[in-house]
Amino acid sequence: MGMMEKLDVQADLAREYLTFRLGDEEYGIDILKVQEIRGYENPTRIANAPHFLKGVVNLRGTIVPIVDLRMRFGCSSAEYNAFTVSIILHIGQRTIGVVVDSVSDVMEIPPEAIRHAPEMSSAVDADYLRGLAQVGERMVILLDIESMLMSQDMGLID
Amino acid sequence: MADTSTDNSSAAGIDLSQFYQVFFEEAGENLENMEQLLLELDITAADDEEMNAIFRCAHSIKGGAATFGFSDVAELTHQMETLLDKLRRHELVPTPPMVDVLLQSGDALKAMLGRHQGNGGEQVDTSELLTNIRAMVAGEAPPVAPVAHVPAPRVEAPVAQAAPVAAVPAGAAPTSGKRTVELRVGPLTDMSLADNLVELFKEIADLGTISALPDDPSLAGYRRFKVDTASNESDMLDLFTFHVAREQVTFLPFGQAVAAPVVAEPVAAPEKGYGFFDDAPGAPSANHVATPVVAAEAAQPKPVAPAAKPAAPKVDKPAAALEASTIRVSVEKVDQLINLVGELVITQAMLAQNSRGLDPVVYQQLVTGLTDLDRNTRDLQEAVMSIRMIPMSTVFSRFPRMLRDLANKLGKKVELVTQGEATELDKGLVEKITDPLTHLVRNSCDHGVEMPADRLAKGKPEVGTITLAASHQGGSIVIEVRDDGRGLNREKLLSKAREKGIDAPDSMTDAEVWSLIFAPGFSTADQVTDVSGRGVGMDVVKKNIASLGGTVEIDSAEGYGMRVSVRLPLTLAIMDGMSVGVGEEVYILPLSSVVESFQVSEEMVKTIGGSGRVVEVRDEYMPVVELEKVFQVPRFDYEHTSGIMVVVEAESGRVAMLVDELLGQQQVVVKNLETNYRKVNDVSGATIMGDGRVALILDVGSLVRRSRH
Repeated sequence: MGMMEKLDVQADLAREYLTFRLGDEEYGIDILKVQEIRGYENPTRIANAPHFLKGVVNLRGTIVPIVDLRMRFGCSSAEYNAFTVSIILHIGQRTIGVVVDSVSDVMEIPPEAIRHAPEMSSAVDADYLRGLAQVGERMVILLDIESMLMSQDMGLID
Repeated sequence: MADTSTDNSSAAGIDLSQFYQVFFEEAGENLENMEQLLLELDITAADDEEMNAIFRCAHSIKGGAATFGFSDVAELTHQMETLLDKLRRHELVPTPPMVDVLLQSGDALKAMLGRHQGNGGEQVDTSELLTNIRAMVAGEAPPVAPVAHVPAPRVEAPVAQAAPVAAVPAGAAPTSGKRTVELRVGPLTDMSLADNLVELFKEIADLGTISALPDDPSLAGYRRFKVDTASNESDMLDLFTFHVAREQVTFLPFGQAVAAPVVAEPVAAPEKGYGFFDDAPGAPSANHVATPVVAAEAAQPKPVAPAAKPAAPKVDKPAAALEASTIRVSVEKVDQLINLVGELVITQAMLAQNSRGLDPVVYQQLVTGLTDLDRNTRDLQEAVMSIRMIPMSTVFSRFPRMLRDLANKLGKKVELVTQGEATELDKGLVEKITDPLTHLVRNSCDHGVEMPADRLAKGKPEVGTITLAASHQGGSIVIEVRDDGRGLNREKLLSKAREKGIDAPDSMTDAEVWSLIFAPGFSTADQVTDVSGRGVGMDVVKKNIASLGGTVEIDSAEGYGMRVSVRLPLTLAIMDGMSVGVGEEVYILPLSSVVESFQVSEEMVKTIGGSGRVVEVRDEYMPVVELEKVFQVPRFDYEHTSGIMVVVEAESGRVAMLVDELLGQQQVVVKNLETNYRKVNDVSGATIMGDGRVALILDVGSLVRRSRH
């Protein structure tokens, strides 16, 4: 019982999000899941993997799979240039990298600023959306990155 | 006792659970040790040294179990200890049933410890074992040499191990009847601890009466009491252990303390004690002389006890020396070290690659430094890898027991010979090879070795021999399981194979026939009736060994026995690899599976049925596997055609792999893809190349299988 109350209190606190750009859209993920941000390096391709799985890279001796979120979300273009970065995430016991166009900011978003995402068909399943946050003029799409990457259709786990 | 461990937040503030793991490890080692000693024990001429060693094992487990509150373990070990104590004192003669009971108790203890460790399992019922042991302790066999048993003085602790019945003269009823004994407690750092015993007697009326005796100046750190009791001494000891360690308690016949090992001169006359009857409890001893003095005295038993048979004072020395020269480290830490060294090797390779273009004249120091770095990292890597290597004896040691039980059950006589126990193997491999080996040994005993009568009829020695041998051969380790049993029967195997619908022409070579037993499901159905029913799960054995990168071979001579050879790589963490280039990509082939490579021209490759491609190599047609197609390697230069074939062998099949170029051979550190990703088809793992990029290691077995379908 005491545990539950504690969790609820925590959920009420404003959380910090790392925001990044995919094409024209801005996304936010829980900063606590982020291990580090690195420049994009060419991964080693894995045969017969989904197209958004770019391959695996060597992160100080660990083999880390790299997912291109732009391809996953069906962005019109996925270029690799000087701004392209990999966000290395720590999810459960796993380390996974995601490729984004650029990292923008770390911002604190209070729960009352988060609106429910409307039910609609898009490349992102509504289950993986925590909500939409209005920050000044911008709309930030808050992703539940953990459940998205761990889902069956990502094919990252057996 | 149990309370202290369950209530971890007790006033003492010590969380015992943090020491559990150490206890479990130690208890496990002690149990193994004890089992081995018991198996080696020659009951007709039991060596004192051996009996003492077995006793020590049981004793250590008991001590730990009592401390951590595992009362079931403590109870059983206590009974074992009582029996062992009688044995080592020659009060009882060891018999085979005793060894059996002790071995069974060992098994029960293993199960109990497993349960406490949280591995689950049923509650272990030890009541029968306990009854058996008690019956044996009570003495079905008459005591030997009733006069000459006085507790053996031990160097490290003056009265340690003085077990319940220790100093009571034989002949006098040792453990029952109302009598007066002298109770000696010490060496104590806190003398008031002994007062708890007085309290104990007050609380438990049945125990008898206790009264303090004056402190003996020659026994610094000791407290003496006079006890009138009808209770069994081991019962009293059990009660006392709530307050003082068992080793600190000695019972002496009242007024006969001369026989005690620690006493230099006769103790003061008993009458003297009565005067101090009431005021003694709580009075701290004035004689806080350092205990080593006492220990030194104990080391040289005074001749006042002529009946004493001084035990060899060397008992604990070898064990102590061994302990000091090893440390216990978690495998996790070792693996971390190995990973770091792997990193270092990669960095070093990168530096070496980048410095190749430098002019050695200009950069002489740098080049020399890099050469040193190269050598040092290699040495370091080798040294670190050797930490993970453990001797095969850890695997072999489980078999004597298993065979003994199995042979007993089957009514066979089998002797186990082990060779090359010192051969070292990677810890990870050791864990995984144990099951397949167990299976092979079991098969040899079950199906290979004949019944004693049959053996005699065939002119063989009655006792069959199963040999386990390990040796290094090149970069691999070879483990052989040999038996001198009946061997495999070619005809029976062939007919059985046909029964199972396996294509088995008479023209098959012996080796091919023997390998039939690896076919899945072979002979599982009627293995009990069949002479050569060795196929029980042999396919699983083979698969497990193949998954470790190993191979299995069988030799057999009917009527003379058979030999199964398991060949394994030395380690799973590092592998000799051959790197091949396909398009822009690099793949690693395990060097152990590479047979040869050659330049190929368009005409050499023929097609079968339009799509299946084969190549002729030395009168043998082999399927061609095009890595480019298997791994969908993108091509930018469409003109290019792969021109090199690498013949690889796995699971007794060969295929020719078509690649663009051979890049070189190197040792690679094998990394797991599944840690952060998932299993990838036809890939067994990954490694990091000199340039820091990841290269995939091909699963040759899977590629060979692919070519068959």
